[in-house]
Amino acid sequence: MIGPDVSNLAVILITSGAILLVAYLTAISAKDVIRLLISLELMFAAVFLAIIPLFSINPPMAYAVAIITAFTSSTELLVLVTAIILLDRRKKGIGVDKVAVGGDSL
Amino acid sequence: MNIDTLIIAVAGLFAVASSVGVLLTKDNFYAALYMSVTMLFVAAIYAAFNIQPVVVIIALIFVGAVGIVTVAIAATYRARVSRKVNIFWVVPVIVVFAILALAYTSLAVESIEVVNPEVFAAVATDYFFVIAFLFALVVLMMLSAIKLARRVDL
Repeated sequence: MIGPDVSNLAVILITSGAILLVAYLTAISAKDVIRLLISLELMFAAVFLAIIPLFSINPPMAYAVAIITAFTSSTELLVLVTAIILLDRRKKGIGVDKVAVGGDSL
Repeated sequence: MNIDTLIIAVAGLFAVASSVGVLLTKDNFYAALYMSVTMLFVAAIYAAFNIQPVVVIIALIFVGAVGIVTVAIAATYRARVSRKVNIFWVVPVIVVFAILALAYTSLAVESIEVVNPEVFAAVATDYFFVIAFLFALVVLMMLSAIKLARRVDL
């Protein structure tokens, strides 16, 4: 026995929660969309950690969830890179303050 | 805490430290590098459980593709200071983390035992349509992104 008596499940969930909270903090303090993209990737890292317990219950489903997470992250990167390019072309910058409202203009 | 849990805890500690580096650094380029390092430590935790296919997925897709693209974009737009941490948001985050840590250490007392790590080969057949639909989704998103990017005037 080394250190406090903590299960590896608790260690993983605490680590996942900590990374997720840091990612949230990064997202709300971001001043440009690049930092927003990086914070979203951190959130996916937290999700990847959170699915480790599923490997002890149903490994095929856990692998499938991991693959879906990887695909979703790749697609999210694709969409955000496109959004960054469009924002830079239209607004001549990538700051989040350049986006006043979401959705289509009336 | 046995030696396996200690290894996982150390890797998790480094992962959290790298993610805090993303928060604290002022340069987007270094933030992207810290993000890639965080992904590598997450892969190390998977390696500690001997779940090697996910280690490969994280190393190839998250660090190799997503991470490198993010680093390249961040290196392009690295000139300005790109974050401003509001101290009033740090306090609730610490409180929420304390509640989470307390709940997990008191409730999640059973350790994880990974069973049948060699079933990865069955995923391609069991979840064939899921993977096929995901490929179709990525191709559709890519075509949509190209169309959007070409339509916007300079």
